[in-house]
Amino acid sequence: MDIVLGIQVEDSVIIATSKAFTRGISVLKTTDDKTRVLNDHNLMAFTGESGDTVQFAELMQANIQLHGMREQVDLRPKAIASFVRGQLAKSLRSRKPFQVNVLLAGFDETTNLPNLSMIDYLGTRVDLPYAAHGYAAFYTMSLLDHHYRSNMSVDDGLRILKMCSKELSTRMPIDFKGLYVKVVDANGIREVDFE
Amino acid sequence: MVGKDCVAIASDLRLGSQSLGVSNNFEKVFNFGHVFLGLTGLASDVTTLSETFRFKTNMYKMREDRLIEPETFANLVSSTLYEKRFGPYFVGPIVAGINSKTEKPFICGFDLIGCIDFAKDFIVAGTASDQLYGMCESVYEPNLEPEDLFETISQALLNAADRDALSGWGAVVYVITKDKIVKRYLKSRQD
Amino acid sequence: MSRRYDSRTTIFSPEGRLYQVEYALEAISHAGTAIGVLAKDGVVLAAEKKVTSLLLEQDTSAEKMYVLNDNMLCAVAGMNADALILINHSRVIAQQYLKEYNEEIPCETLVRRLCDVKQGYTQHGGLRPFGVSFIFAGFDDRYGFQLYSSNPSGNYSGWKATSAGANTSSAQTLLKQDYKDDMTLEEAKELALKVLSKTMDSTSLSSEKIEFATVKLNSKGIVVHRIWKPTEIDQLLKSTGVVGDDDDEFS
Repeated sequence: MDIVLGIQVEDSVIIATSKAFTRGISVLKTTDDKTRVLNDHNLMAFTGESGDTVQFAELMQANIQLHGMREQVDLRPKAIASFVRGQLAKSLRSRKPFQVNVLLAGFDETTNLPNLSMIDYLGTRVDLPYAAHGYAAFYTMSLLDHHYRSNMSVDDGLRILKMCSKELSTRMPIDFKGLYVKVVDANGIREVDFE
Repeated sequence: MVGKDCVAIASDLRLGSQSLGVSNNFEKVFNFGHVFLGLTGLASDVTTLSETFRFKTNMYKMREDRLIEPETFANLVSSTLYEKRFGPYFVGPIVAGINSKTEKPFICGFDLIGCIDFAKDFIVAGTASDQLYGMCESVYEPNLEPEDLFETISQALLNAADRDALSGWGAVVYVITKDKIVKRYLKSRQD
Repeated sequence: MSRRYDSRTTIFSPEGRLYQVEYALEAISHAGTAIGVLAKDGVVLAAEKKVTSLLLEQDTSAEKMYVLNDNMLCAVAGMNADALILINHSRVIAQQYLKEYNEEIPCETLVRRLCDVKQGYTQHGGLRPFGVSFIFAGFDDRYGFQLYSSNPSGNYSGWKATSAGANTSSAQTLLKQDYKDDMTLEEAKELALKVLSKTMDSTSLSSEKIEFATVKLNSKGIVVHRIWKPTEIDQLLKSTGVVGDDDDEFS
């Protein structure tokens, strides 16, 4: 029931994740951040089996930082997406697969382009203009299909996100305690005020 | 599909998770030199296999100092899939190409564990394979020229995809002749 | 005396040397010369092919130039059989990187990974080191065109122009004399041939005695590397005028 949303706009990517940490019918925490910073220009948001998610996210974070140190250059968004996908695809056929779905928001400093990749626990990867995992997709995709334009500014993106957030509040069976919203662009990763 | 001194291979562009459409630009046809591979099935395995075959054909290219031929590639696909006999990749591959030496068109299909299905007319795979069989059986005729083959394969794919809820969302068609490859995107229903 | 320190690769001599590595270097210094020149718009590799017998089949593929992946080539100086092992290894590394990240391996990364293998044989004992020096030529989008060399110890370094094999010191001197910054590929080709012609034992250059390869970008900005065919080499020799005292001068 976690919400993870991503919208790619003209020069950046917006990521929104629900603040609620739930187990069964209980909300255990209202300030849960479902993202990890992979490097200066890449952010990973995740949902799935609790336990697996953070373990996997931090494993990827460590691997990508290690690569950055060894090669003296940070991996680019598409290379990260490819790497993470590979890890999930490998895990799928292991004794105990990671049940983690992720969104990767990145900004490629060489091409000056933003990138949003969606990867599920099977290792299915697609690069999309906007994406969502789980039930949130059913409620938000129609809004995004309708309002999305590829040349939007961050503010335009946040406006659509507001609509998505409102729709989710009315339709989701439990209170998801609001969204953390982060923007990835040429300057790096920053959190923005939402609500 | 095989024509006169030409072959064509086509796929839709939809990627979905069950009923939810996720992407309308997920290409399922890959080329390794002049050999083409269509991969339907579990998207994760489609990507994994396309990467694996790129690896293997690149190694082949450097070892042999020439590109892999369709017949050789078909056997590579077969053995690669059979290697995972008891934990298979969930895919339905199709190989199409023209042998650069004999100049003979070649197509074939596989089941998920690598059994080769040789054919001289057409091969189909995927969720709409029943519909595709129907279309191909009625629309196909032998020895079509490249332009006619393009029309035939496109109509077969488009109309089959329209009768399948899980297929469509655009299509891509490659028409391959001895010294030319034409790639065309087809617009189709987006519902 | 030296017997005590050179029977194993892992043992330092009292002077702090690894004899087996030095013997490997010695083996390489008898091999045909290989030269690499970096230009602003490409890289050239040229190598001397030692013709051992007239009966040897000559028209088979290059024996000192190898493709490593879509944007790298290397030239070999030393024992060919050893080189083939390392080349196959580096091809696999390059393809593994491509599969994992969906982008070509950066040149230096590949060189380093290969040198890690070479280094291993100077430390983990019982085996002899690889008797090969390589000259690598390649392109990647971080550093553009690049030229590296490596030796049996596992050391590698980047160069504007370098050489390996027989007469390497005189080749280096000639290269140092004639190398100019911002050379074009055409000038680099000529320089490589000129240096090679002077360092070779025989006076006449021909496609039977040399191998040649280039890395450059095509009009679409895509990396193209090519190991030259014998006829193309002959043509190049003729057009650059670096043909030595060949018999056709007298005919």
